[in-house]
Amino acid sequence: MPPAAATNLGYTPPDGGWGWAIVVGAFISIGFSYAFPKSLTIYFKDIQEYFAVSYSEIAWVSSVMLASMYAAGPVSSILVNRYGSRPVVMVGGVLVSTGMVLASFGTAIIHLYLCIGVIGGFGLAFNLQPALTIIGTYFQVKRPLANGLAMTGSPVVLFTLAPLNQFLLDSFGWRGSFLILGGIVLNCCVAGSLMRPVNKKALKKPEKTEPPECNGGAAEEAATVDTITQSDNLTEENQKESKSQGCVNRFIDISLFKHRGFLIYLIGNVVMFFGFFAPVVFLAPCAKHKGIDEYSAAFLLSIFALADMFIRPTTGFIGNTKWIRPRIQYFFSFAVSYNGVCHLLFPLASEYTGLVVYAVFFGFAFGMLSALLFEVLMDLVGAHRFSSAVGLVTIIECGPVLLGPPLSGALVDIFGDYKYMYYACGVFMLVPGIFFFIMHYFNYRRLDKERGQIVAVDVRTCEEAVELKTNPDDKAAHDTDE
Amino acid sequence: MLASWKQLIFQILLLLVSCRHINTTSPDPTPPPLVPIDSLPRDVRRAAFKGEGQIEKVELLNPVNLELVCTWTGHQNKESNITGFWRKDGLEIENSHLTVQLENEQYQLQQVFNIVSEENLGNYSCVFESEVKIDFVVAVPQIGEIRDKPVVTYVGDSGVITCKMEDSKPMPNTWKWYKANGTDKEEIFAAAEPQRYEIKNNERKTKLLVNNLTMADSGLYYCGAVYTLSTSMGHVELKVITYYEPLKPFMAIVAEVFILVTAILLFERSRSKKNDTEGDMMSDQTNTLSPGENNGLEGSSSMRQRKT
Repeated sequence: MPPAAATNLGYTPPDGGWGWAIVVGAFISIGFSYAFPKSLTIYFKDIQEYFAVSYSEIAWVSSVMLASMYAAGPVSSILVNRYGSRPVVMVGGVLVSTGMVLASFGTAIIHLYLCIGVIGGFGLAFNLQPALTIIGTYFQVKRPLANGLAMTGSPVVLFTLAPLNQFLLDSFGWRGSFLILGGIVLNCCVAGSLMRPVNKKALKKPEKTEPPECNGGAAEEAATVDTITQSDNLTEENQKESKSQGCVNRFIDISLFKHRGFLIYLIGNVVMFFGFFAPVVFLAPCAKHKGIDEYSAAFLLSIFALADMFIRPTTGFIGNTKWIRPRIQYFFSFAVSYNGVCHLLFPLASEYTGLVVYAVFFGFAFGMLSALLFEVLMDLVGAHRFSSAVGLVTIIECGPVLLGPPLSGALVDIFGDYKYMYYACGVFMLVPGIFFFIMHYFNYRRLDKERGQIVAVDVRTCEEAVELKTNPDDKAAHDTDE
Repeated sequence: MLASWKQLIFQILLLLVSCRHINTTSPDPTPPPLVPIDSLPRDVRRAAFKGEGQIEKVELLNPVNLELVCTWTGHQNKESNITGFWRKDGLEIENSHLTVQLENEQYQLQQVFNIVSEENLGNYSCVFESEVKIDFVVAVPQIGEIRDKPVVTYVGDSGVITCKMEDSKPMPNTWKWYKANGTDKEEIFAAAEPQRYEIKNNERKTKLLVNNLTMADSGLYYCGAVYTLSTSMGHVELKVITYYEPLKPFMAIVAEVFILVTAILLFERSRSKKNDTEGDMMSDQTNTLSPGENNGLEGSSSMRQRKT
């Protein structure tokens, strides 16, 4: 068995240098992917009047876009696995741009569904996955920080797009605005051009011609070792994976469904996403319901966005520290539970100051969770399987993401009060948080045990290798005898 | 003989009747009230003086006998008699001076006004001793929720303008649309030009659709909520622009993207050329150093090939 590679990648990621340009590119791509569908809602009222449709029909544009973005995840993963990140992001940018330009000439609402919803959604999916994947190839030691910085793109782009969209609407109407947005989103191609594939040849791990340190080697790598190396290197599953070259496996790694960590992540996330977006969507309407005026309610969202913006890089930085990094799954579980507690305490807030406090705390919670969301998946499955993993995760999360806000809306309509919805969302986040804590405790214990076995095997093979090297004549004599 | 005289008188009578009929149907600038005053419903509005600049809003839809009652508690040293009168739109109403007695520690002024047509609407004020004044703004319900930003549309496209009367206010009888022509307003008759204009009326909402827009269609459009007494107006601006307007920023952004992408890729090409020349020198050295080890590298088959 090969010694446990710290990266299991076969090369040392640069952890800097051009990697920071990659972070900028990922910042732009991720920012557009998440913020673009949300920012389009500003145009809905005008489009609704123009096409003479109801509000729910126009809201479908956003839903179709989000659904396409999540459903196209596996397609994006397959393409990234085959062609790398750069071409996929550039194609994605062109797709969204084409969708928006076509939509600006649309004559029926179904044109908007197809152009913005389907084509635009696919394009955004082609931006999101590769951006996340390429960070894993460029960073290992500083990966949580890089992830946190890249995920900050979402609130920053949203913050910029919201007033920009309003300005475009006032100056050019919705048709002209879609045309210009088609141009703006083409900047994803610039982001894609930054995503140079990492030069594995130049960075390959230096060959150890000396016999490796039999005792200290394992300890040295402990600081940067992922949860993945501990499980993947040793278990039978790993051997099976390298052998099973099934047709599907060449495109996307279905064997991930046997991966313990991946399953924990998937189950927890599916439940969590039911209560993830709804509180954001309903923050302003709930504030107005409590008697706050429209501008102050909108200001709450700005406070939320600012808190979100600030906490994401901070979370990345904290996740990178040597105390948190080895047990980053606990940090993620904490973030999820914190979200849940926030929502459960929300009904206590009655006047504006209470709502502002909630917005700040919720902003922190949301940002913390978002910054860690993909970092922990990378931590669990490793960088080279991450692309397939994120594709599978997004298509399965499609359901809860789409169903969450309408279900919450139904709760609000049934009870006529927002607090039950917040209780429900709180429960939907607290339960997975506790689930993550418990399951990862067991997972870490199991991995530590397996790691102990790896170390034992290493020491044995190490000693054998040393023996062979120091007694080559014996072996040669032995061979020639046969 | 008598029969022909009777016929003549009958014809003259007929003529007179028809003449009178013609007179009454000719358009009159101020039509006299056809409904007897006494049969109008009575609407009473009271106001007590609270401070300077007090304005009370009176929303009326139909002709009423409007009774306005003002009360005032008076100064410190209350005189038994003070004078009070009424104003309409700042002008004193004739014969409205009254002497007001102090009753129950306050002065009360009341007056009944016949609100039957548009000219009866306006700002009515009750004045005590020429110093204490309460204003009553008597008007039809005003359109509150109206778009203040212009609707931007394109030449050849169609534009939609909507007006809405809030749920809290009474519904209008019907809606009318006007286009601003200089300082005048011209009414838009959708029936006259069905290809161009379409008016869709709901009870509380009205929509004006203008098809096949041209630059001349830009300007202010007025929607009027018609009540029996009067019409309340709201205005929305329609702006018509050509497709070239958004096309210019679009082309500028596309050019910027193209330049950046080309610059980044060229930069990378030049750097990789530099690295290649250095890398060739480096790899020659590493080749001679490590002849055999190749265990830990997965998927780097190219390396294996090089090493043999």
